[in-house]
Amino acid sequence: MKTKTKKLISLTLSLLMAITILAGCSQTTDQQEQPKTDQPESQQPAEEPKAEQILKFGGTGWGGIFNPIMTDNVYDGYVTDLVFEKLVDNDSEGEFVPALAEWTISDDHMIYTFTLKDGIKFSDGSPLTTEDVEFTFKTIAHPDYDGPRAYAVSTLAGYKEYHSGETNVFEGIKVIDDKTISFTFAEGEAAPANIQCFNYGIMPSDYYAFNTWEDFLALNEKPMGSGVCVFDSWEPKQYIKLMKNKNYWDPSKALQFDGVLMSEVPDESILSALQTGQIDFAQISSSSENLKAAKAMDNIHLFNYLGNGYTFMCFNCIRPQLEDVRVRQALMYALDRKSFINAEYGEGLAEVGMAPISPASWAFPDSSKLNAYDFDMDKAAKLMDEAGWKMESDGFRYKDGQKFHVNWLVYTDSTWPGTLSGMAADTWKQLGVELEIELMDFDTVSSRTMEAEVGEKDFDIFTMGFSLDPDPDPTGALFDDDAYVKGGFNASGYKNPEAMELVKQGKAEFDTEKRAVIYKEWAKIMNDQIPHVIIAYRNELFGINNRVKNMTIDTYVMFPQSIRDVTLE
Amino acid sequence: MKNYIIRRILQMIPVFLGILFILFFILEQAPGTPASNMMNPKMTPEQKAELTQKLGLETPWYERFVNWVAEALHGNLGYSINHKKPVTEVISDYVKPTLLLALISLIIAVLIGVPAGIISATKQYTAIDNVFTVISLIGVSIPSFFFGLLLLKAFAVDIQFFPLFGLKDPLLMSTSPVDKALDVAWHLVLPSIVLGLGSTATFMRYTRSSMLEVIRQDYIRTARAKGLREKTVIYRHAFRNAIIPIITLFGFWIPSLLSGAVVTETIFALPGLGKISVEASFTRNYPLILGINAMLSILTLIGALVADILYAVADPRIRYD
Repeated sequence: MKTKTKKLISLTLSLLMAITILAGCSQTTDQQEQPKTDQPESQQPAEEPKAEQILKFGGTGWGGIFNPIMTDNVYDGYVTDLVFEKLVDNDSEGEFVPALAEWTISDDHMIYTFTLKDGIKFSDGSPLTTEDVEFTFKTIAHPDYDGPRAYAVSTLAGYKEYHSGETNVFEGIKVIDDKTISFTFAEGEAAPANIQCFNYGIMPSDYYAFNTWEDFLALNEKPMGSGVCVFDSWEPKQYIKLMKNKNYWDPSKALQFDGVLMSEVPDESILSALQTGQIDFAQISSSSENLKAAKAMDNIHLFNYLGNGYTFMCFNCIRPQLEDVRVRQALMYALDRKSFINAEYGEGLAEVGMAPISPASWAFPDSSKLNAYDFDMDKAAKLMDEAGWKMESDGFRYKDGQKFHVNWLVYTDSTWPGTLSGMAADTWKQLGVELEIELMDFDTVSSRTMEAEVGEKDFDIFTMGFSLDPDPDPTGALFDDDAYVKGGFNASGYKNPEAMELVKQGKAEFDTEKRAVIYKEWAKIMNDQIPHVIIAYRNELFGINNRVKNMTIDTYVMFPQSIRDVTLE
Repeated sequence: MKNYIIRRILQMIPVFLGILFILFFILEQAPGTPASNMMNPKMTPEQKAELTQKLGLETPWYERFVNWVAEALHGNLGYSINHKKPVTEVISDYVKPTLLLALISLIIAVLIGVPAGIISATKQYTAIDNVFTVISLIGVSIPSFFFGLLLLKAFAVDIQFFPLFGLKDPLLMSTSPVDKALDVAWHLVLPSIVLGLGSTATFMRYTRSSMLEVIRQDYIRTARAKGLREKTVIYRHAFRNAIIPIITLFGFWIPSLLSGAVVTETIFALPGLGKISVEASFTRNYPLILGINAMLSILTLIGALVADILYAVADPRIRYD
């Protein structure tokens, strides 16, 4: 081949390579054109018979179980929240208010009596009566029930007998008349958090009546309720169409547009979909790049609010290295959580965690009274020395001949455990700690920690996240001594009778002020002892197209709760 | 030939059972259970245990294997834990887009890759050959998610020509089947390009090397010496022989396309089998994992058989008795 041709060819090839490399680097979003206001697809018909006003939501993760007592998934929950209505709902403060019914509580706090509002109808026109309420709750208690909501009825009187199939009568649920129904809790189960048991959609007993459990499950994809929307269609993993319920029983509170479309949009495309107007609103994953990109889009407005949850780190407190509280505190002082938050989430999108209660809650203690474990290597070294772990010449700490070694189970399903453990590997090494990071998937972490038998929990440290209910009662979760079993959520092995006493007191205390005092005291103990460390409170980010008016999304308010106020331009 | 086919089909049965056995065993040994995914803090350990028991995970795995096979022979593949629907229903919900995408990608790959390979081989070392080679190398190396996102940015965001996600337009007004089919086709253009590119490149390379080998044979020289037109030499004689290795590829390509579409399906939000099977693995949805993998195993075995049969059909020298 002639030299000239050779040169030409190598030039072309290097040009091609350069183009492919550059294309990869310059992935920044450039907002050149104003997004068009109508759908960009070119096969749309030239004139539409009637322009329907449809609210378009984008997200990913619908499971297709559109059943209020069977679903455990936030996205399926959006559908059930629009198609069904509940007895009670929560307001923006996290307090519970009447939705379908008003209620009174007996003096001993054991009996909740609900009185339904007048004129409630399901979307097929049939009236909603206490028979339907009874049906809904009895179905959760049914012997064949295999959904995740058993705890909604398991504390009612007579649950065990009904659930085992012994009797056909659920003692704790009494239908008094068409509009009045009472629920009685079992001995010792009175608690202000019990009101949350009634936060599930009411299902029509005629429509959902079943002979076999399979019959019941078959209706998961054909929900029918009394809510502001009726279910139109679902294409699995593509979209869900909900249309306005034209027979809604309270016309003053009906939907002010024609329907809601929920489309499956992959995370990577959410910002583009918002920008081009193909969806009206969506949750944007919290990161500083996304926030910057979202802020630069001028056709949307943002809700950036504190999420109701936290991420945590669990110490296996029965391991000899970790049983001394000074060691745990030293490890925390040697972990720069502020830098981690800036690196992982960006400024303003997360806060350093301090107590196992959301800062949005009334039970959250004064943060000045809590220890934030600000990054301090000297303090960490001093605490380790006090606990008897002395630094040897090889750079590690030893006590009684044992090297200080911990392993950390990191799941790769999210990025933050990897980031945090990576930072720890560096600073803890300076502290003289040998850290072994084990990478695996979420399910495996769960099976080695919470799902494992007591005595077989094979880990020193692991990290995970939790989302919370509006009520701050921590029973059953990380800090409950009774939850230290196979399948329980406390894998730390740390037991503190004094703290448990406080939790039990707080659970049953109906005076909110007294309750707040109890939880604040409890949070202080947990903040000092740190069997679990609360790492961060993360913010959530929603982007909403400016043509959507009056939508509110907040810590305790999800979009179905504000949808009756929404209008579309 | 008929005896051969019957023998092969009979052979498939123990192989298939063996695959299933190993699969069951691996799933059993892998850490994690469906219960590990029930992360609702209000659920008590007793309630979790009850749910686990309802899933039938308490019986020993060899017992469960025998039960599963017995039921499967009746067409009952069990209940998907996360979907609360029979596995057969879940698979049929999601299999069509994956099959469609795989088929279109295969057609693209064959229609573009094979002729390109032939041209590349006949005009070896010329500019065209080098250009095609470079393109095929890019096609094989480029990660599909990167290429997919690039196409989306170019054709769905900057120039809003193609849809950004999904298989169909939920707000499509018309109900005519032609319009509906066109809508789906429109949504599949970009994903097919992404998925097709890798296959096209591979087919091109295989065709090229196979052709090169054949062209050097003596009988090609004889054909040319006979005075036949170049086109006849290439397409009637050389190509017929070169196609044989390509045919064997065919048989294995369908199952690999079905399982390899996960990334493409995720980027374009196509409701396919790939995404479902990955989710099933993460949530230890044993019945669904087994159902999907059983299906893939059968398809692979059938694919191998089809490849062998086509091989015999294409090459008369091959006898299977």
